[in-house]
Amino acid sequence: MIAGDDELRWEGGQAVVRMPVEIDVTNADEIRRTLRAAARHGSSVLIIDMSATTFCDSAGLQAIIDAYNQLDARNQGAATPTQLRLVAIAVRRVIQLVGLDQLIPVYPSVEAALAERG
Amino acid sequence: MQVDSARAAAPSSRAALEDRLRDIQAIADAALSRLDDQKLLTELLERTRSILHADTAAVLLLDYRSGYLTAVAAAGLEEEVRQGVRIPVGRGFAGRIAAEHRPVLLDRVDHSTVLNPILLAKGIRALMGVPLIARGRVIGVLHVGSLTQRRFASEDVELLEMAASRAATALASILAQEDRVAAEALQRSLLPAALPASVSADMAVRYVPGAGKVGGDWYDVFGVPSGRLWVVIGDVTGSGLAAAAVMGRMRSALRAYALEHDDPAEVLARLDRKMQHFEPGALATVLCAVFDPGLERVRMCSAGHLPPVIAVPGRAAEVAEIPAGLLIGASRDARRETATLQITPGSLLCFYTDGLIERRGQLIDDGLARLCGLVTAEPPEAACAVVMAALVGAEPAPDDIALLMLQCYPSESRP
Repeated sequence: MIAGDDELRWEGGQAVVRMPVEIDVTNADEIRRTLRAAARHGSSVLIIDMSATTFCDSAGLQAIIDAYNQLDARNQGAATPTQLRLVAIAVRRVIQLVGLDQLIPVYPSVEAALAERG
Repeated sequence: MQVDSARAAAPSSRAALEDRLRDIQAIADAALSRLDDQKLLTELLERTRSILHADTAAVLLLDYRSGYLTAVAAAGLEEEVRQGVRIPVGRGFAGRIAAEHRPVLLDRVDHSTVLNPILLAKGIRALMGVPLIARGRVIGVLHVGSLTQRRFASEDVELLEMAASRAATALASILAQEDRVAAEALQRSLLPAALPASVSADMAVRYVPGAGKVGGDWYDVFGVPSGRLWVVIGDVTGSGLAAAAVMGRMRSALRAYALEHDDPAEVLARLDRKMQHFEPGALATVLCAVFDPGLERVRMCSAGHLPPVIAVPGRAAEVAEIPAGLLIGASRDARRETATLQITPGSLLCFYTDGLIERRGQLIDDGLARLCGLVTAEPPEAACAVVMAALVGAEPAPDDIALLMLQCYPSESRP
């Protein structure tokens, strides 16, 4: 379960938020808050790490879209915009099927997401 | 708050203690539980009024969307329910209780302390109210009033809070029940009964609420004046009456746009714009399939919805190759693309929502493959039965399931 500070870590100027194994209506609000807080840090890159996630329902997708829209609004005219990136393995297909990969680039590992120069 | 200043001496004599015990029993009475929730609420108000020697008692319900309190039950103050008085949260006597989440006592009732014209007109001189709390949330207010000048004591507040806790349970149960009944009625009223008579196809449908709770899944089938047939399937995030109501509005808007435009991508783009403006925060997946009048061809556009499975006679069923568009309500940057597919006579098209194939701990591709293995180009009623038996069986579905199957017989080849 996501809680406390351990789910947010820094890799240089890039923030990585680790997601739980299952994301559904029971923890989506908490995730939404965590992502909103992470988005406010103003890092150059924010990586939502779903590599351990095996289930994500529409409430979970909603939390991610919420973070995207918050960053999108924040990036308008910002000197240092934040890029949002997703890491997904088991739920990668779900993310593709709802078209979320058109908004947020998806990577197979945190390393790949960190290595991308945007 | 005036609870402290109103503190009275604790009951000292044996008689006073016995009175107190009798009062508590009147509220805690297990026999009340045998009444249905609405009767329990009414009886509880009568008893509360009586043990507190008050003249009026009322329960107000808080509507979170509007931020207003409305009276739903009353004793000695029935006109408040009949007239539908609305009190904004944060203002007036009841509004303050809901906003501050704590008891409020008034021994001066006038325009400066009370907003409700009925309380003023009735000549109420003193008021005491407490919040109704269910699962940590304020869902309403319970208050009693006196026509004579008096100060309610702290024991009175305690009794009222006991009554409030029972009233909150009853009210929460009434609300859940109303929500469920209304959502089910709405769902039923919106699911279409049949194909237009002119269409050379057979259709079968299933709708199953998830875990006994109706949600935002829907399907729709309708013809337009150009002779084309629209098949729509969608899933609004969330459950209960709220999701069903959003679903109803999406369905109506989509029908209206389909009268004006033949391209499903254009219709979904308009629907997306409408949703983002009027229902910000709502999220839905929708798939539109527009069949040519002769059913030789279908044009499809998906807004984040699972692609249909198509079974051509004599071949294994396959997932239709259509672009995965972004779900409705997510972003203004969505691109919408329409894919065109030719239809082999006798083909069966299977449209469904994620509740049919999504299972925890299972990859969605495995669910899709399983569905493909079950669907064959046979009459839709039989095909639906096979799929539901294999994927749902006797277990209650965790999520809503909508399923629509259509078998097409283009160019008068109908058997």
